[in-house]
Amino acid sequence: MISVKKVNNRPLNFLERIYLPEIARGLAVTMRHFFVNLFNPGGMPTVQYPEQTRPLPGNANLRTRHRLKVRADGSPKCVACFMCQTACPAYCIHIEAAEYAENSVEKYPAVFDIDLSRCVMCGMCVEACPEDAIAMDTREIPGGALHRGEMLMNKEGLLRNLPGEPSTLGASNRLANEYLEGKK
Amino acid sequence: MIEFYEANKDILLFSGAAAVKVLLFLGGVMSFTALLTLAERKVSALMQDRVGPNRASVFGLALNGLFHPIADAIKMILKEDFVPGKAEKLLFTLAPFFALVPVLALFAFIPFGDYVMVFGYQLELQIAEVPLALFYVLALSGLAIYGVFLGGWASKNNFALLGALRGAAQMVSYEVVLGLTLVGLMMIYGTAGLQDLVRAQGALLFGFVPAWGVVVQPVAFILFLIAAIAENKRTPFDLVEGESEIIGYFMEYSSMRFAAFMFSEFVEIILVAMLAATLFFGGWQVPYLYDTGFILPGGKALALNHYIVAALQVGSFSVKTVFFSWFLLVVRWTLPRFRFDQLMGLCWKALLPLALLNILVTGAVLLALGKIR
Repeated sequence: MISVKKVNNRPLNFLERIYLPEIARGLAVTMRHFFVNLFNPGGMPTVQYPEQTRPLPGNANLRTRHRLKVRADGSPKCVACFMCQTACPAYCIHIEAAEYAENSVEKYPAVFDIDLSRCVMCGMCVEACPEDAIAMDTREIPGGALHRGEMLMNKEGLLRNLPGEPSTLGASNRLANEYLEGKK
Repeated sequence: MIEFYEANKDILLFSGAAAVKVLLFLGGVMSFTALLTLAERKVSALMQDRVGPNRASVFGLALNGLFHPIADAIKMILKEDFVPGKAEKLLFTLAPFFALVPVLALFAFIPFGDYVMVFGYQLELQIAEVPLALFYVLALSGLAIYGVFLGGWASKNNFALLGALRGAAQMVSYEVVLGLTLVGLMMIYGTAGLQDLVRAQGALLFGFVPAWGVVVQPVAFILFLIAAIAENKRTPFDLVEGESEIIGYFMEYSSMRFAAFMFSEFVEIILVAMLAATLFFGGWQVPYLYDTGFILPGGKALALNHYIVAALQVGSFSVKTVFFSWFLLVVRWTLPRFRFDQLMGLCWKALLPLALLNILVTGAVLLALGKIR
């Protein structure tokens, strides 16, 4: 159902038609803003990004820079299944898979690049990941680089756990861990 | 050498003083223009709850954006100076000069102070003292149309030509109103020289109100301000440029040629501010300040040194100029643009009859007071 708002356009009265009192009213508004902001610059909502940041509200924290979770033994949780690369609408993920020599159960990403200059921060990769290996909860906002190379994140830059995070959860991790433990 | 000096003492002193005045006054105006390009962005930013430009820095020192005019100038100089293949090369090159030169020449007639005694030589604080300066002002500001029109026509671009046509129509129309608003002033003060006009505004009405133009001609002041903003081609009358939607006469211009057009627009802001201050707000006059010092209406007097008086007067003129420049910026960032038919209707159907009526009323009042026979 489309809601229609009826605008009641009454004819302008004389003072409005000669325009000058209305101009004075408009000027009063803009001048008030000017002087308030001139004498109280701290009251403006502007943040001097990237030197200053401010805490993101609520779930916006789950749309920050990516990271790859790490297992207890330091290997990436990622099994190079390409689900995130397939789900990515911006084609910013590049994965090259490799196999563990001693472990025929799963693969690992030899190369995992995210081009942050193309990323649209949609979070589809996080949703697509069956291993819960990629997350966007670092609370760092990407952006602001002088060269494109600085926007390219490789595996080394992505691999990290948040402080105090348990790193051995996940369905296929159990398999892998059992395998690794059996090998020990 | 000394003989030559003695023989031509007057003319040498006059030209020397004139050169110094041109350098100082025009230098001041130019620096203020550069600052105004920054002020426009800062004022608009503050009005819109933003911070404005503050990143251009020299050795990590940003000074809240003070280096942005320099950065802009460097950028403008380094841009490619492009001339369209079909353009009229000569006129295309000349148009920015036609825009800039009349505006700069107008500053010669504006008195920025009364006079200063320098080594016994009375230095008038006005570059060219012309008895009919008001007409020169109108004539030269009429010449500014050439810059707009030649620029638009010589580009050989239809959009630029349309912009130039809009500009010519607008400037010619508002020129008429601009001239007529000043007639009342000439009738009341009985002079068309700007310095004489300012001196006449130093008188007191009823013994305590300064006889400033805005007091004796309030309607003319409002009409003058509207017409002057329209002459200046600024919002709400910026159909000549309409940079965001309808494309203006300088769309084919780049690099410093474009900068010349922009610069002339900012110089015009200062010019309009100075004219408004000179014609309607007593120019360099400070209320109750005379040659010898303050004389208040109650009879109290405060004697001041001649140089302090001169400094106060020049300072008063500067403050008025800065205030009106600021006011024009605020107006520019407050009002939306007119439609072209509204623009023409406002001029011919509202401002022109009001200006004529103002002259009629002024004449009738002067006749009733017995000031004219």
